[in-house]
Formats: sequence, C-alpha cells, structure tokens
Amino acid sequence: MKKLLATLLTVCMLLSLAVFTGAAADTQPVTVEFWHAMSGGLQNALVALTDKFNAENGLGITINLTNQGGYTDLSTKLLGAIASDTLPDMAQVYNSWIASSLDVVIPLDDFIAADFDNYEDILPGYRAEGAEFGPTYTIAFNKSVQVFFYNKTKYDELNLTAPTTWQELHDVTKAYYEATGMAAFGYDDLFGMFLQYMLQNDAGFVADGQVVFNNEKGVEAMTFLLDLFANGYARTAGEDRYLSGPFNNGLVGGYIGSSAGAAYVKPDGFEYGAAAIPVGVKPAAMQAGTNLTMFAKDPAKQAAAWEYIKFLTSTESTVYWAMNTGYLPIRQSGFESDEFQAYMETSVVARACYAQTANMAFESAFPGAQEIRNKLSSEMEAAILEGKTAEQTITDMAAAAQEILDRQ
Amino acid sequence: MMRKRGLELGRWKGLLYVLPALVVVAVFTVYPLLRAFLMSFYTKYKFSTDTVLSYGINNYTYIFGDSVFQKALSNTFIYVLFVVPISIAISLVLAVMLNEKIRLRSFFQTVYFLPYVTSVVAMGIVFGWLFHSNYGLLNYFLGLFGIQPVQWLNRPSTALPALIIFSIWKSLAFNIIIFLAGLQTIGAHYYQAARVDSAGRWRQFSRITVPLLSPIIAYAFIIGLISSFKVYAEVYALFGGRAGPADSCITIVYYLYRQFYVNWNFGIASAAAVVLFLIILAFTVIQLRVAKRRVHY
Repeated sequence: MKKLLATLLTVCMLLSLAVFTGAAADTQPVTVEFWHAMSGGLQNALVALTDKFNAENGLGITINLTNQGGYTDLSTKLLGAIASDTLPDMAQVYNSWIASSLDVVIPLDDFIAADFDNYEDILPGYRAEGAEFGPTYTIAFNKSVQVFFYNKTKYDELNLTAPTTWQELHDVTKAYYEATGMAAFGYDDLFGMFLQYMLQNDAGFVADGQVVFNNEKGVEAMTFLLDLFANGYARTAGEDRYLSGPFNNGLVGGYIGSSAGAAYVKPDGFEYGAAAIPVGVKPAAMQAGTNLTMFAKDPAKQAAAWEYIKFLTSTESTVYWAMNTGYLPIRQSGFESDEFQAYMETSVVARACYAQTANMAFESAFPGAQEIRNKLSSEMEAAILEGKTAEQTITDMAAAAQEILDRQ
Repeated sequence: MMRKRGLELGRWKGLLYVLPALVVVAVFTVYPLLRAFLMSFYTKYKFSTDTVLSYGINNYTYIFGDSVFQKALSNTFIYVLFVVPISIAISLVLAVMLNEKIRLRSFFQTVYFLPYVTSVVAMGIVFGWLFHSNYGLLNYFLGLFGIQPVQWLNRPSTALPALIIFSIWKSLAFNIIIFLAGLQTIGAHYYQAARVDSAGRWRQFSRITVPLLSPIIAYAFIIGLISSFKVYAEVYALFGGRAGPADSCITIVYYLYRQFYVNWNFGIASAAAVVLFLIILAFTVIQLRVAKRRVHY
C-alpha cells in the first residue's frame, strides 16, 4: 500500500512537472537569440534547418541566428556577455567554456524528462559529455570524432594496411618511412594525441585537481610518441597548421585529425583512406565539436529554445545536418536510418566514424582545463623540436599542469 | 570685472567644446586603465557575478616567476631593439630616394605605401608563404646561393628572426610616409648652398637632411617604440593564430591576450598589462628627455 502511494505520488509529481513545462511550451510567440560559429557550408545547413523550423513550428517561435565568427570569437563574446549580463538565449559551446560559469547556464534535465524524444537514442559518449558537471547542461550538436586518414594509393603499393593498434601504427609508419623517406604520421592536436593514448591505456590524466600522469604510464606513452617524431616517422603540422595540407601534397603518409576536417582532405593525385584510430588496452576515440546550451531566463524563451533544440536534435534533422556538413548524427537512429546508411556507402570517413560510435570518449572540462591544454601542447611541441627526453617532458608537463590546477 | 567674467565664460565654453572628446577618452581610455590596474590586484575573482573574493599582489609574483612571461619580455625587447632602428634606417634611405626626381616616382611611392593600407592578416598569410620551408620564395632564393632550405617558421631559433623581418617590412610604409612629408619641409636652398660649397651627397644627407628631419625621426622613434612594444597582430598573423613554434615568439601582448581570453586569468592578464604600461611609459619618458637635448627644432 505504502509502495503504491509512493508510486502514485511520484507519478503525480512527474505529471505536474510535465504539465508545468507543457504549459510553458504553448506560450506567446517569442524570438530566440542563438549564437553560433558555423560558417560557409556549415552555416548554410544550419540556416536551412532553422528556416524550416521557423516556418513550420506552428507556435510562433522565431529563431534568430547570429554568426559570431569562429570558435575563439564565439567563446570570447560569450565571456563578455556573461560579464555584462547580455547572454543570448542559447549558444553553441564547448563544455570548457561554461565550466566556471555554470550558474548562468540552464540545466536541461527537467526539459529532457518532460518532453524529449527518446534521450537514450543519443550516443552514450554524447550523453556523458552533456552531463559531465552533474546535471545535463548541454546537448550534442555538431559532433566529430578523431579519424585516421592515410594515403591509400601508397599503402596499397607498399602492401600496408591501416594500423589498428599503436604497435601496428609504429610498424606501419616505420615501413612507410623506410620505403619512401617521407614522414608517415602526424597528429593535428599534439596534446590530444597524448591524452588519447593515456585514456586508451587506462592511465589517468587529472583527477580531483591533481595531476595523475606523472608516473611510468605517462613516461611510457611519451616515450612511444616522442620516438615516432625522433625517428622521422612522424612530423608536426608546424607552419602548415593542419596536416591536411601536407597530406594532400603527399608530404606525410597519414595523420589523425577530426572527421570534421574531411572537407579539407583533397589529395593531389592519390586516393585516400580513412579508418578508426588505433586502440590501446581499450578503445577510446576523442569526440570533438560543440554542444547546444541554454542561457534564457524567461520561461517562455526557455520553452521556445527547447522546441528548437528538440527539432535540431531530432533524427531527421541530425541526419540532414550530418549529410550536409560532414559532422556525425548524434543519434543511433540517425546512423541507422536508410538515408545515412546509403550515404555511408559513399563516404569512407563516415564509415570510419560509425565504426567508433561505441568507443567515443570526451575530454573532461574542469577549471583550468583549457589553460593546461594550451600549456601542454606547447610543452610537447618543444619536446619534439628540442629532442627532450620523455622523462623530462613528463616531469615538466606535470609540474606545469599542477601549478595551473593549484591556482584554480 | 567684465573682462574677468568674460574670461571665465570663455573657459567654460572651451570646456564644453572639449567635453565630447573628454567623455570618450574617459570612458574608453581612462576607465579601462583604472579598471585594469585594479583588476591586477584581484587574486580570487568570480567573473560571472563580478565579485572579488580577495585582493593581493600574487598576480605580480606569478608573472615574474613565470618562464613564459620572461620569454615574452625578452622576445619583446629583442623585437623592439631590431625592428625600430632598422625600420627607421631603411625607411629614411628609401624616403630620400623617393623624394628625388626619379622616373616612376609616384609608382614607387604607391608601392611603398601599400603595406600601410593592407590588412596585417593578409600580409601575414603572404609572408607565411614566402617563409614556407617547402614552397617559400625566400628559401628558393637562398637555394640559388647554395643555402639549404631554412625551416623559418618551424624552428624556435629562426621564428623570431622571421617575425622581425616581416615586421620591419610592414612598418616601413608608415615611416616612409612621415619622412617624405618631413622632407618636403626642408627648403631647397639648404641643398643649393651645400652644393655651392661642393658638399657631397653623404655630407648633405648627414649634415642637412638628418638634422632637419630630426623631430620627425624622433617622432617615428616614439611611435615605433610604442607600437612595437605592443606587437601582437604580426605574431598572430604570421603563425596563423599561434605564438610561433612551441610559443617561441610569444610577446607581452600575446601573453596578455592569452591569459585574458583563453585562460581567463583576468588578474594575471591585468598585471601583465600594468607592467607593459610601465615599460612603455619609462621608455617614452627617457626618449622625450633625450630628444629634447638632441633634436634640432
């Protein structure tokens, strides 16, 4: 009896919650300000989706898209807007941008519980990222994942196949280097390379404000990675900024970069391949790309923004978005839709991404994370250029990271 | 009595006229300056609510202990030391040459002015290509002399020289413009007199042109010094949004920008800004003192 009562009460509470938000949903027509950083073809796709929503939502909601430039511009403007209390109703964000300002972000759990189509359908890696601060503050939107791009023509010629483990990567790049005299590997994001390697080897990075990579696992990872560079098997992007440039010109045999960069892979005179990135003790492929977040304080605007978020993250929209931008569907049902399956037949990058959907991992956002990322990227670049030992590099990196953590 | 009142009224009227400018300066220069100074003492600061939890001098002790800031300081000083004098020397020579009655004079003047009206970012991209290790024109020319390709933008040791070369070229335009303007004001009779006394070209240059141009040169020095201490855009543009390989070309303003907008260490960024302000202030004062004694007005 008691149990029944409790259940009834819970149901009542849930219902009232649903009614409350439901009531908010059919409020007066409002305009929702949405700041984004999509340009070119990405922006066209976003505008097309938004126009569709504006025309068909039937609730009088108008979404006002404002392009704020690139990601750096967007984060800078959001920062300014937090200070001057002029935040838009919603925006694209990386979680690290809001990590120290969670008090201005609207938690989305109640909205999800009340009115969202099958939240479990969103890929687990994305759901975990959205809830990394406890409550769900963000919902995945334009997501990409690390992919291994390689010179398929050369690989076939040399009888090589895309490496599936780091050891294979070592052997393959060695063979490639010895046969061609050319660097065989690179990583657009040096810090990401280290972090990914560590995550795949069950080694931690930072936990509870303490550096936990200053140990033999860290040294082992760093030794492996620095050796690739010291032997000439790998190179940095350097003046080219992104490895897609040297890759297109045949100056590097392969590289790991974001699937979102696939549009820039236009090989000059050879065929390219794409594969899942190598795995260590366990697989972990870093996902990247921004999420949707809500800042609106007015319940009417919140409800309107939520309608739009539901629309953007629906299976239909996410498939349209993925096929027109090169980002990934955020839903399992998106990947499995006939449309996307047909698209994957034609896209080797999409297939490489799909192969990794179960392995996606995200980079934690904690106070100081961005500063640590920049600092350690620079430390790693210095280690490669100056030929520092792995032990020294790890010691220096750990000291630098700990200093940043202690200051938070 | 009447006169005094008139004077007073005039004073108020004058104040009224400069008021708009004063308001703009107060809001956009003085207030931010004071805010930055105050902020440099915020040690615990909650940004989203603008509440300061504690004050102190930790930001200053931090930056002076930070190897990156030291690197930024030394890079900035090296940069200023090379860019300002070399740029002024080259522009002086070019300005004198452009002032001669040479063929295609206005064409050359336009060519040398071009960098002044071109965006730094565009120039940075072009120089990025000129310096490129595989495809760069610079390495191509060096190759003609049998010099191996230099990894200009990829190695910490060559990145700063590359930045300095780029900046010298970039700053020529402004200096040439003001030197040319200055040269117009030097009367032809000085040179005629010199020629009568059969003074050579070098003597004319060193005894007439340079002394009579000295106020302009001093001005160019001060402006060059201040803008070079604030170098940022050139680094950003040349290295495509990075501070050179492994941060080897970081400058004070780059450091400041990164601390503020990327790392969100507002106090540290402000402390760096105050230090930069004091450095520029000190150099400007010294230079004005020296100029007072040396410059021929």
